[in-house]
This record gives sequence, C-alpha cells and structure tokens, in this order.
Amino acid sequence: MNIFGFDVLSFLVFASALAALLLVFVPSEQKAIARILALGLSVAIGGVAAAVFFAYNTTAAGQQMTFQTEWFGLLGASWHVGIDGISASMVLLTGILTPLAVLVSWEIEDRVNMHMALILFFEAGLFGTFVAQDLMVFFLFYELTLVPMFFIINQWGGPNRKYASTKFFLYSLGGSLGMLLAIQLIGITAGTFDIPTLITQTDLWLNLSRPDGLFLGIPVNTVKGLAFLGFFVAFCIKVPVWPFHTWLPDAHSEAPTAGSMLLAGVMLKLGAYGFLRIVIPLFPDVWVADISILGLTTNFATFFAILAVLGIVLGAFAAFGQTDIKRLVAYSSVNHMGFVALGLAVTARIYGEQFVTGSTELAQDAIIATNGAVLQMFNHGLSSAGMFLLAGAIYHKTHTRDMTQYGGLWVKAPIYGGIFIFTSMASLGLPGLNGFVSEFLVVRGSFTVYTLLTVISMIGLLFTGGYILKGIRSVLHGPFNMHWRDYKLEIDMREFIAMAPLMVLMLITGLAPNWILSVINASVTQLFGGS
Amino acid sequence: MDLNALINDPNFLPWLIPVGPLLAFLIITLLTNRSKLIPATSEEYGGHHPDYDGMSVPVVTTRSRIVSITVGLSGIIAAWLISWQVVARATSLAHLGEEVFHSAVVWMNTGVSTFNMGVLVDPLTVPLLFMVPFACLMIFIYSIGYMAHDPRQSRFFSLIALFAGAMLTLVVADNLLLLFVGWEIMGLCSFMLIGFWFEKPSAYKAAIKAFTTTRVADVIMLLGIAYLYASTGTLSFREIMYNPAPGAEIVAVEGGSEAIVSEAEGEEGAIVEGEHEGEEGEEGYSSVHAETLAERLANTPALLIPGMSAASLIGIFLIIGTIGKSAQFPLHVWLPDAMEGPTPVSAMIHAAAMVSAGVYAVIRMYPLFAAGGDPHHGIFTPPLLVMAVVGAFTAIFAATIAVTQNDVKKVLAYSTISQLGFMVAALGIGGFVAAAFHLITHAFFKALLFMASGAVIHGMEHGEHHVHAHGHDEAEEHSHDSHGATVVTSHAHDAHDAHDEHGHAHDDHGHEEHAPHFDPQDMRNMGGLRKTMPVTFITFLIGGLSLAGFPLITAGFWSKDEILAEAWAGTTHGYGPHALVFVLLAIAAFLTAFYTMRQIGMTFWGEARTEEAKHANLGRGIVSFTMTLPLVLLSFFAITAGFVGVPSDFPLFGAIFSPEYNAFHHLVGAALIAESSAVPFNIFPVLVSFAVALGGIGLGYLMYWRKPLQAGEVDPLVSILGPVYPVLQNKYYFDELYTALFVKPSQWFAKNVAYEFIDRGVIDGFLHLLARVFTWIGDFLKVMNLWLIDGVGDGIPELMAKSGISFRRLQSGRVQTYMLLLAIAALVIALVFALSTGVLQAAP
Amino acid sequence: MVPLWMYLLVAAAMFSIGVYGVLARRNAVAILMSVELMLSAVNINLIAFWRYMAPENMAGQAFAAFVFVVAAAEAAVGLAIIISIYRSRRSVVVEDVNLLKG
Repeated sequence: MNIFGFDVLSFLVFASALAALLLVFVPSEQKAIARILALGLSVAIGGVAAAVFFAYNTTAAGQQMTFQTEWFGLLGASWHVGIDGISASMVLLTGILTPLAVLVSWEIEDRVNMHMALILFFEAGLFGTFVAQDLMVFFLFYELTLVPMFFIINQWGGPNRKYASTKFFLYSLGGSLGMLLAIQLIGITAGTFDIPTLITQTDLWLNLSRPDGLFLGIPVNTVKGLAFLGFFVAFCIKVPVWPFHTWLPDAHSEAPTAGSMLLAGVMLKLGAYGFLRIVIPLFPDVWVADISILGLTTNFATFFAILAVLGIVLGAFAAFGQTDIKRLVAYSSVNHMGFVALGLAVTARIYGEQFVTGSTELAQDAIIATNGAVLQMFNHGLSSAGMFLLAGAIYHKTHTRDMTQYGGLWVKAPIYGGIFIFTSMASLGLPGLNGFVSEFLVVRGSFTVYTLLTVISMIGLLFTGGYILKGIRSVLHGPFNMHWRDYKLEIDMREFIAMAPLMVLMLITGLAPNWILSVINASVTQLFGGS
Repeated sequence: MDLNALINDPNFLPWLIPVGPLLAFLIITLLTNRSKLIPATSEEYGGHHPDYDGMSVPVVTTRSRIVSITVGLSGIIAAWLISWQVVARATSLAHLGEEVFHSAVVWMNTGVSTFNMGVLVDPLTVPLLFMVPFACLMIFIYSIGYMAHDPRQSRFFSLIALFAGAMLTLVVADNLLLLFVGWEIMGLCSFMLIGFWFEKPSAYKAAIKAFTTTRVADVIMLLGIAYLYASTGTLSFREIMYNPAPGAEIVAVEGGSEAIVSEAEGEEGAIVEGEHEGEEGEEGYSSVHAETLAERLANTPALLIPGMSAASLIGIFLIIGTIGKSAQFPLHVWLPDAMEGPTPVSAMIHAAAMVSAGVYAVIRMYPLFAAGGDPHHGIFTPPLLVMAVVGAFTAIFAATIAVTQNDVKKVLAYSTISQLGFMVAALGIGGFVAAAFHLITHAFFKALLFMASGAVIHGMEHGEHHVHAHGHDEAEEHSHDSHGATVVTSHAHDAHDAHDEHGHAHDDHGHEEHAPHFDPQDMRNMGGLRKTMPVTFITFLIGGLSLAGFPLITAGFWSKDEILAEAWAGTTHGYGPHALVFVLLAIAAFLTAFYTMRQIGMTFWGEARTEEAKHANLGRGIVSFTMTLPLVLLSFFAITAGFVGVPSDFPLFGAIFSPEYNAFHHLVGAALIAESSAVPFNIFPVLVSFAVALGGIGLGYLMYWRKPLQAGEVDPLVSILGPVYPVLQNKYYFDELYTALFVKPSQWFAKNVAYEFIDRGVIDGFLHLLARVFTWIGDFLKVMNLWLIDGVGDGIPELMAKSGISFRRLQSGRVQTYMLLLAIAALVIALVFALSTGVLQAAP
Repeated sequence: MVPLWMYLLVAAAMFSIGVYGVLARRNAVAILMSVELMLSAVNINLIAFWRYMAPENMAGQAFAAFVFVVAAAEAAVGLAIIISIYRSRRSVVVEDVNLLKG
C-alpha cells in the first residue's frame, strides 16, 4: 500500500510529523485556523490508521505492509517498518485518540498552534514506535515521544506542572538509558538491529554462544541478563509496573486534558508493546532462568507477575484513597495496566518455557492471556482516555479537582452524569462493556499459570469497584453543593462529540469483541507457534 | 434469510426475548429522555424542593414521559409475549429436556478455540420465562402510577427496562459468561435504582453498599468462571453438564458421538441452528450414562487446595457469587438497605430479578455442584454442604430479624433473605426442583407483597399530605383532594424519611409538628388501613398468607412443603444435612408465618394509630388504577402458581391438580438425567408444614389481631424478647461489625498505607532521596568546579590584578621612595655581585 | 703620602651623606644640595683614582670637569624648577608635588 509514493506506514509517521511542522508555522494568533487545521489533519491521519488496521489480513498473520530501506548503514540500522496484529490495534488506537485529543484541546487558548503541533508530533512518535521493526528506529521514536509530552505538561499543565514534568521526563529518560545500552549491546553482538532478523536467525542473539562462553570478557548469560534488565526497567517504567509508577499520578494529574488522554491512552502502551515486541521475543530464556531474590528462587516472569499483581492491588487501593479526581483516574491506570502486565508475565513465562524446553503445555492459556493483555491495552486506551476527558471536562468547569468539593452534580449535568457512569462502568469492567472482556481473558489465561497471584489480584478487582463507585458517588451523588448553583456544568457539545466514538467503541468491543480480537489473536497465536 | 421462518423458529425466538427491554432502554436513554428546567419552588415539587434551594431543576417533560412509558411498556410487553410464546411451545414438547431450543453465534476467537454466545431454553428456563417477564410487566405497570410525579421518570423507566433486559438475558443465556453479563448489568441497575434518589445520603450509601457487597461475591465468581473455562475449555451449560465430555466413553456410540461431532465442528459464521441433541442423543442419555465434563472435573484435583476436586472448588467459587447476589449470610447486608430505592425497584430486586438470579444460577449449574456426590444418597460435595448450611442458617437468621422490624419494607426484605435461604438450603440437599418451585411462587407473592407495601406507603404519604393540608389550610383541602395523589411526589420520601440521618432542611411548609418525625414506612404509625385501602388489604393478605404458607390454598404452602418433604426424605435416611435443614427451615417457617401476621396486623388491622393512617388511601384515577391492577393479577398467581407443583400422591389435591404426574416436577426435573422421580408422599412433613404455618399464624393472630396495637402502645415483643429485642432490631449489629471490620480498615489502608505510606512515603521518598543525592553530588561537583577549574581559569588574571594593585603601592609618586628603592637595589646588586665574584672573601 | 683608601673613605662618607640627604630631606632645595654633595663625592673618587691608578691618563680629570659642568647645569635647572614649583604651590616640600602619582 503506497500513499504519495511512500509506503503507508512510513507515510503515517511522516505525515504526522509534517502536519506538526505545518502547524508550527500557523501564526499563533490564528487560533481557529490552528484548531481546525489540526483537527482536519489528525482526522485524515486517523483515517489512514484505521484503513491500515482494517487492511490487515488476519488470515495471513505476521508482518504485513513491511518496508525496508537503507538508513544509517554505518551502524547497521535500517528503516524497517511493518505491522502485525498487535501493532495494528495500537496504530488504530493512536489514530483514534489523537483527533479526540485535538478536539478536547479546543479549550486551550494559549499558543494554540504549538500545542496542536506538539500533539501531532507526539502522534508521529507513537506511530513510529508502533511500526518500527528495527531497534534503532524503535528507540528513536520511543524517545521522541518524550519531548512533546514533556512540553505539553510543562507548558500547559496544572499548578504543579514543573515538578510533574521533570519527574516524568527524568523517570522515563532514566529508564531509557539502560535500554540504549542494551540496544547497542545487541547491535554489537549480532551485527544488526533488525528485530525480525534477530528473532528468526537465532544464532545472532537468541542462542548467542562464544567458544569460551565469554563475551567482552563477561559470561554470555550475564551479558544477556544485563541487556534484559536494561529493557525490563525501561518498559516497566513506561507501563508502569509497580513500583515504577509514581511518575504517573503526578504527570497525569498535572497534564492538560489532552495530554492526560494521550498519556494514559497511548503512551503507557509503549511499554507493554515494548515487552511484546522486544523483551519477550529477544530474551525468552532470561525470563524463565532461575534467579534468586531475597533468598527465594524464582524467575523474572514470576517476579514480573508479582509486581503486576502488586500494581493491581495497591493501584486500586491507592486510587481508592484519593480525593483528587485526576489522581484517582491516574491510579486506575496503574490498576488496569497491572492486568496487562499480568497477561504479559504469562506470555513471557510460557513463551520462555516453550523456547527452552519446546513444550507446548499451557500454550492455549498463554494465548488467551496475551490476547487479554493486548485487548486490555486497547480497552484501557479507550476507557482511561474517556475518564480523563470527563475528569478534565468537570475540572475545566469547576476549576477544582478536589472531589470533596463536588457533590450531586448529576442534577445539573444529567448527560454528563450518564456518560460518566457509562465510562466508569467500562473502566470498572462491567460485563457487556469492553474492560470486562480483556480482564476476563487475562484472568482466565493467568489462572492456570499463576493461580495464587490471580486469586490475589481479585482484591484489586474488588477495589476497582470501590474507587469507581467513590468517583461516581462524589461527583454525581449526594446533596447538591450549592456552590455550583450558577455554574454551567453540563458537558459541552465538543466534549460530547469527543466522547461519542469512545463510548461506541467501548460498547461494541464489549458486545462483540471479535472485530479487534481476531486481528490480535492471529498474531498472538502465531507468536506461540500456532497458525 | 426468511424472516418469517426465523421468527417461527423456536431456536431463534429466545434471542428476541431480551431485545425488547434492551431496545427500550436504548431508545429512552438516547432519544426520549428530555427534561425542562423548572424552578425548585414550582408546584411540581409541592411548592418546595428541599435539596435545590433557589435553582432550576430538570424535570422530565410530559411528552417525553408519555413516550418513555409507551416505549418501555411496549418493550416489556414484547418480551412478555415472546416469552410466553416460547413457554407455550416448550411445554408442548414431550421431551424438552433433550430437545432444547438452542442457537449460538461465534463471539470471540482466542488461539485456536472459539467462544460461542447463544441462547438456550431448556426445562429450567421455562418457569423463569413464565415468571420473570410477567412480574417485570406488573412492576412496570405499577411504576407508572408509583413514579407518576417523579422528575426523573424517563431515567427510571429506562433503567427498569435495562434491568428486565439483563434478567432476561441471564435467563436465556446458554453459557456462564453471558449469564454473568446479565448478572453484573443487573448489579449496575440495582446500583443505579437503589441510588435513584441520589440526593439522599442513605440512598446512595445503600447503592454503594449493594454494589460493593455483591461485587465481593462477583469477583470470586469471576474466578470460578475463569477456572471453569480453563479446565473445560467451554462455558456452555449443556456442554459442561449434559453433553458427554469429548473423548468420553460412550457405549451407545452412534447418537451420542454424532452430537459431539456436530458440536465440535461448530458451524462457522452466524447462527448455529438448534442442535436438537435429543434426536440423536436420546439413546446416549437414557440408555447409557456417558461421563460429562462436570463429572470429569469432579475427578480432577483442584488447584491450590489439596484434597478437593476441581468441581468442588469451582462450585464454591460460583456459590459465593450466589451468596452475594441472593443475599445469603454473610453477604446479606445489602438487601435490606436496598429498600432505599423506589418500591418498584424493591419488587424488581427482591422478586422478579436480582435475587432470583442467584438461585437460578445455582439451579443452572446444579450438576456441576453435585458432581461427584449424590445428596439423595447422603453423599454431599463441599458446594452442596456449603449451600445447605448457609441456606438453612440464613433462613432462620433473617427470619428472627424480620420479627422485630417496624419498617413495612424491612420486614419484607428480611423475609426475602429468609425465603432465599429456603431455596439455597433446598439446593444444598439436592432438591433443585423444589428450589425452582419455591423460586417461582416466591417471586409472585413477594412481588405482590412489595407492591402492596408500596401502595401502603403511597397511601400513607397521601394521608400525611391530607393531614397537612387539612390542618393548615381548609381552603386548600379541596384542591389537594381533587389532585388525588398527584401532589405527593416520590420526593416526599426524602423529606420525611426518618432514616435519613443527614436530615435535610425538612419541609418548609410550616408543619414542624408532624413532618420531621413522621415515617410513612413505620408500621407503628399505621393500623386500620383495611378500611381505606381494601384492595390493597386483600391482596396483601393473599400475599402474606402465601408467604406464611397457609395450608392447601396458597402457592407458598406447596413450594415450602416440597422443600420440607425433600429434607424429611433425607432425614429418614439419617443424613445429617437434611436433618439440619429440616429443623431450621421448620422453625424459620414458623417465624415467617408469625411475622407476616404481625405485619398485616399492625398495618391493616385495628384502628388507625395516627391521623395520617386514618386518611391513607390511593386516591382515584390512573395512579390508583395502575397501582392496584398488578396487585390483583399477582394475587391470582400467588394462589394458583402452587397448583402446578402439587405432588401427585398428595391426598385429594394430588388427584385434582396432578392426576397423572406433578407437572412442575415433570417439566423441570426432566432437565437432569439424575433427577428422575419426586420424593414419595409422606404425611409427617405435611403435618409439620401445617403445624408451623398455622401455629405461626395463630400466634400472630393472638398477639396482633385479637388485641391490636393502640396508638402509643409499645410492641408486645419488646417485653417478651427482653434483651434479645435490641439485638434483633439492630440486625445482630452486622452493619456496625462490617463497618468496623472491613469498610474502615480498607479506607484507612487505601489512604494511609497504599497511597501515603507506600507511594508517597516509600517509593517517592526513595526517589526524592535519589534526587537529593544526585543534587548533592551535583552541588559537590559544582564546588569542585569553582575551586579547581574556575580557580585556575579565574585565578591567573585575578592574581595579576591583585599583584598589580599591590605593586601600585610602590608607585607612590615620591621620588625619594624611588631613590631609596634604587639605592637598595644598587646595594643588593652590589652585594650580590661582590659575593658572587668573591670580592668580599678576597678583600681581607 | 695619604693612601688612596682615605680619599675613598671621605668620598664614600660624602656620598652616603648625600644619599641620606636625598632620601630623607623633604625640602627640595636640600635634596638638590644633597645631590651636589653626591656629585662632589664622585668627583673626589674620580680624581683620587686618577691620581693613584693612572696619572698618565687624562680621563679622570676630564670626567671630573664634565661632572662640574653637569652639576652646575643641573643645579641651575633644578633650582629653576623648584622656584617655579614654589610659585605655583607655595611649598618646596617634595611630598606635595605628586601630580604625576598614579
């Protein structure tokens, strides 16, 4: 598929970047032009992204729409893009959320053109990361996403934005350094950064061996372990996996609404995507190798699962303990992404064992868990973006995020109330809406692999109910706070339009998940050697 | 596809059952929910709305109210008609147990397996398809009157429609996951409806309590579903429990295996046609018993817990779901509080939908729970034991609480818990037909009782308003009368609810002498209502007698009798759980009869104890009509529903109603292969039934009818029960206990440990420490920089400048100084010269 | 005959007195006179060395004559300067004359 002489995936990346560039040159006093232009461009790009998703052929799973060309030959890197079902769903998510974020950013009055440009620039980074098939390209775009988001938080954020943006930036960058080293290590060792090559030609890296068992004077396993840790920490921070999550509540709650939406909606998925695309396929043996932590023998996959469950449980508790609505939603991300992490832990464990021993035992469970994890990534993208939009909408009107200041707003904002409850329920995992399908799949998949941990994670699921109800109760229920008597609290038309596609997708995915699950499933099944 | 053929296809019809209400929900929510803003001081609120001082409040427009009612009503009527159509077709089949109506579509693909969603009508579904849509319809009609003046009426009807749709989805679901979908959506609806008057703290607290309590159970149930799915690869009821397991040894090969093959292949694409397993499978089932997946699970050891079978552990997980949903001990606390919602909602939750769903789910999955055991021969599996004990205990536990309650709806709430305990206990001892029977009869008479009590409350509010108007302004009296019940809105609940601890600025009408203390739900304020509300009285009496199990002529007698007979049959064989269930249920039945009579006596008998009660009535017009019509219709079923399940060997009645066989038993029992025959008739349990029902009624009569309570008189129970009374009155302090044990600690943990300590303290503390360490290192390096690098760089020029300054001092401008220096220098040079050349040494 | 070192001693004493005068006196005229004294000491040296060391050479006397001339000229110029300073400043104290000081 080619557009204007570019292959479609490269087009997505460059079109977003060019759109951003174009917006920079819109005079800053021309707010309307900047807004409409940004919306039009992002809708068009989103359309292309959707087309890419639907053009993905599920019967022939695997890399599609690939394109490779010389790029930075000196390093051995090449411009290699392509998507599988997992990338396709993420590309779709990015394509959907960006126009909505642009639409929500209408409320920005200050340097509109720059704000919109940063959003589109961010989109370019996301697309680049999701379609990259080369470690260097991946790293480049992975890091590129940081810059626009840093400025969005730093320039348009809430009162505590300097602290939040700095924390966000340093945290992410700190993780990325190890990843850069790990990428270089792989590059030096294998002589290529090409991900499919690294996976298919197992001699290069996967079964790396040296005659004397040493590499650069260090045992090969240690080298691999260190490279693994580099990636592991970087992606854990991004997901975020407990206890690397504390940047998230600050960044989310201080970011402007559009920033929170994109941050929670797509950026967190970069981490989980990184696990699926890089860490699990490139380090299968490391995941299941015995390690000793505090005298207990375990392996990284189990360790990861424990962290995931801690994230689920403590994230839910922490959300339950909030009084700041955006912080509550932010912590709900920790909780929900914990399920993604749990699913990924199962993936890593079973994939690793399959790689090491060749047994296909529990492969079906792992497929289900992985499907659940990827679907949960998509679903969380929808529901958390929706929740942030709604939290932002009420914040925009009341100028407070303190939930104790709200109360009984439903009477003045009946439509908002309905939407809020709907979205909350999607986030809660109400059967019939999207969150349930993915959570069920993760629970089902991980039950046989990590039984006890899954049982413990149910505490988190219970308190998901707790904080969601707390949110509904303090915003909508209760005696009306007369302070807001003369405020206009009802949702704006523009916000409603931005919510509508999310709600439709939540409902459709909950009722008939196969429209996206079939795409994901094709690639996940292939990952585990199925067809 | 031929639409006509589709509609006539019994396999397809069940799909349409939930569609009507769900569509109604969507239409009302999206299209017809229009409100206009009306100042809170307008007539719509009886002149004053306590919560919204001086602002405009949205009130549903008349047009959208009418449209909403029409849409909702048509949706439910559609569901009702289709359901009864399906019921008619199903009951006309000779072997429904084998020729079920079933169709499914592919729902999702995971790996190589597919998950099918579908609908199923089998013998277990039929009674519920008979009861649920009808009860929902009655409730809907009743709501038209009851909610006639609520400002958010459209929302109410949309939610009721969603509630009904969810319940119907649950009923026709062919797999556990779809059942769970309906299950949870009902949870949401109950949350929304209990908290419908969301201004009221007691209402939203009750809503949150209901949702949270049931969610405790639901997440565990979700685990059970996941476990079941993991160990069987399917969640379809029939595939797990009735069909032979894949690879099972089947002797009558042909029929059985073909059925399996056709199922395993699973038609790709849209609707899988009804399977009619019976046609091929008949021999397979009846002649040979092939192992089912459920039985295979019974032989699989469980994960995590050694010494238990997988089926047992899954069963316990699932049963916990039921314990939550059907409000069994210890998760019963939410149900009484659910009274905070409008009364039709109570009827919906307590009778037609929610709590029945819990019992229905167990009946649905019964073979799984019983797998590996046989309660009829004294072999109990852990899930069955749990059910028997929990159910029997709950039955008596809730009954004792109900005895002391004074709130007319609270009595009914605890009686619901108690009656559900009957059903769960019956399931525990293997009487799943009896449980299903009691589920149906209970739904009818409990829906009736709730709606009748709602009518009582409505009447009391009307009376209260009458009293106010009368005492305050003679001239207005007429106008209020002519309004009928119109002036009293449901918001009167808010204003006069004594349970409302926050207490709004009550009632600015100027009736402080009555208003703040009057509770229209308190039975102590009633009495003598039979005179002003005769229809309500008679229907309430019918429902009450049915609940009390008045012998022979009420539905409640037959179903309760069947449970007791079932328990007695086991007791005669010496099975412990049966005996326990029998004794506890007999006592509970006695208490049931007693508190029912107490309730009716206090409410309707004697003389009016307050002015309000004297003037209580439903008024005239559409409100009164829509509220009494369902009562009458339901009281018909509260009597006759029992006759479908009369044991055929019961003296006289068996000959009349079950000449050939026990119709209900024949229908439902056929669902299971194991359940072949009803227990043989035995006179002892019947006598016990007679004794407890009549004894309880008699005692109640003696205490509350023969000598009715006078105004201001204290309930005689207070002195009889002594110190026990406050314990019962306060529900054994379970609310307080749970608050202290679970609610407060988890709130504390969430705020102080999970957030403040771990996140803010430990993790962020560590990060801030890290940041500080790096800042310190940075500062140190900065200082080093100043000293070393800047020291060298800046030092040289500075040194020059400094030396320049000090040298400048020499440049005094005084020639003499210069000269002195010159001289000194000359001397020095000379000295040096002299020394170096050795002149001085040589000189001497 | 008087030995050479006595002349040298006298000359050195005179020179030292001159140096002391130049350095210690504040009056410009006195300083000028001290300078003359030093010149005279130098002249004594020149003549003494000529007589004792190289009587056949005329250089010593010639030098001494030159020194007289220069001393006379110097005294004249110096006095003129002093007078002109005195005129403008009403003082001949050297500390007061510090216009050139940085």
